[in-house]
Amino acid sequence: MRAGSLEADSFEKRRWHQNRLEPLLLALSFVFLALNAAALSIAQPERDSSVWLVVAVWLVCAVAGSTLLRRTLTHCDPFIFPVTMFLSGWGLIIIERVAPNFAARQTIWLALAVILMIATAGFPRLIVLLRQYRYTLLFGGLALLVATIRFGSNPSGISGAPALWLSLGDFYFQPSEPLKIMLVVFLASYLAEQYAVVRVEHAAFGKTPTPRVVGPVLLMWGLSVIVLVWQRDLGTAAIFFLVFLTLVYVASGQLRLLIGGSILALAAGAAAYILFGVVRLRVDAWLNPWLEADGRAYQIVQSLIAVASGGVFGQGIGQGSPTYIPVIHSDFIFAALAEEWGLVGIVTALFCFALICMRGLRNTVELRPFPALLGVGLSALLAIQGFLIIGGVLKVVPLTGVTVPFMSYGGSSLITNFVLIGLMLRLSAGEQALAFPA
Amino acid sequence: MTPTPPDTQLVLLLFRLISGALLMGILAVLFIALWRDFRSAVEKTSVQRRIYGKLVEVVENDDGYEETAVSHPLLPLTSIGRAPTNTIALDDDFASGEHALLALREGQWWLEDRKSRNGTTINGLPIGDSVIVTDGDVIGVGNRRFRIHLE
Repeated sequence: MRAGSLEADSFEKRRWHQNRLEPLLLALSFVFLALNAAALSIAQPERDSSVWLVVAVWLVCAVAGSTLLRRTLTHCDPFIFPVTMFLSGWGLIIIERVAPNFAARQTIWLALAVILMIATAGFPRLIVLLRQYRYTLLFGGLALLVATIRFGSNPSGISGAPALWLSLGDFYFQPSEPLKIMLVVFLASYLAEQYAVVRVEHAAFGKTPTPRVVGPVLLMWGLSVIVLVWQRDLGTAAIFFLVFLTLVYVASGQLRLLIGGSILALAAGAAAYILFGVVRLRVDAWLNPWLEADGRAYQIVQSLIAVASGGVFGQGIGQGSPTYIPVIHSDFIFAALAEEWGLVGIVTALFCFALICMRGLRNTVELRPFPALLGVGLSALLAIQGFLIIGGVLKVVPLTGVTVPFMSYGGSSLITNFVLIGLMLRLSAGEQALAFPA
Repeated sequence: MTPTPPDTQLVLLLFRLISGALLMGILAVLFIALWRDFRSAVEKTSVQRRIYGKLVEVVENDDGYEETAVSHPLLPLTSIGRAPTNTIALDDDFASGEHALLALREGQWWLEDRKSRNGTTINGLPIGDSVIVTDGDVIGVGNRRFRIHLE
């Protein structure tokens, strides 16, 4: 093979992938969804036919998304979009099955999310602009956070429930979701600039971490602690800090920052355990849920029973009883998946999440520092969020109320994750698509 | 919930089986596609890493050039210069940091001068921007001379 044609050749293979793989995966997903919709209407004949509407909207989103994406980005990754659509379609079916009155809203959110994903992926010079306006993004994000702490509310209307939403009439919006992406963008661009200098200094003089390095670590830790203290939002705080530690480690290659950061995180966690009832409850329920199976650990115990009764092949859609679990359509949607699709379903879903993160990482290999770190941060965001909530539902880690990306009910979460996918697709299209000034 | 009649249960069992099979099918498709992708990536790097020949250092004497024992592998992209990041890093005061580049393009070997201070020569003659080189040509960078041996 000649060296000159290598680049063209790899793009040729990619195009083949995109032309064959994407339609194949979307078709398989469609058959899977349609089959389960049919099974659901047979298993629960008293249901109305709204499940078919959900499948139809999903199909329109998938076909339109795929067509538009091919027009806007010719060489983007062929795995990410169809796998994302598969997961979100599956999520929609589960929501329709366990909480039908939320499904219509969620289908509207999906349509909006796909549109925003295409807009993000097709935005010219987006990466350059993100870098230019990083401080605007950061302060915008922080302002949102402050606004939530000050004016936040909870859609359920229960007093004492964590107030993580901003309301505009009937429309509720969770600012911590877009804030995650804003922070990743800011940190990636900051670290891309600072760490080049720090690395050279380290190689040349063997210096210990300068304030330039330790500063942002402490800043992010402080921010996470604020989220934890004022909002009692363990999940978001954990995600902020873990994603940030990953980025710092990848940018600097210094293990001691990772170790120091983990010690800080553990210290904050231990303090939170002593000070806040919410955190103590979560950790206690994780260590031994069976002590209070009827009380405070009810949710996690029901979830474990659901997972266990799923077995290898699952109960079949509409034939299990996942609705025993409170707020099944949001945080605990994975328990419903485990009960009705079994181990096969769990393995497929986990593999799909891992695949998206892996492709996101792999595509950054040949990029410059800022887009590469951005790609790493976005993949880490998905991976950590997925791990925290799926691990929480399976009692691997203490439960932290975050959403399962693409699957859980929630507009802010779905839209944010699709915008994240749009950014990943843009990064995957190679250096030319990033439109760097020469 | 009313108990479902046996034939409905059979249909549901069938649907469950197909649904499970579909999930495994999706997994299989993803695995195969990933495997193909990795294969092509491996192919790409192994082609880029293949050694196409060598650059033997030579010294000038009365009857032309005499080969020394020092040689460097020739890669599809071989950069020559004083900076340690080059494929062939030279310790030579007359070489620039990024001095010259040997590149395989469309089946031809090209020698490019990367705007070096003292220029690059081919068989003793200075080159402009770039020139096609063949087996046996002698490249001059700084005070050093290299003969190309293609395999």
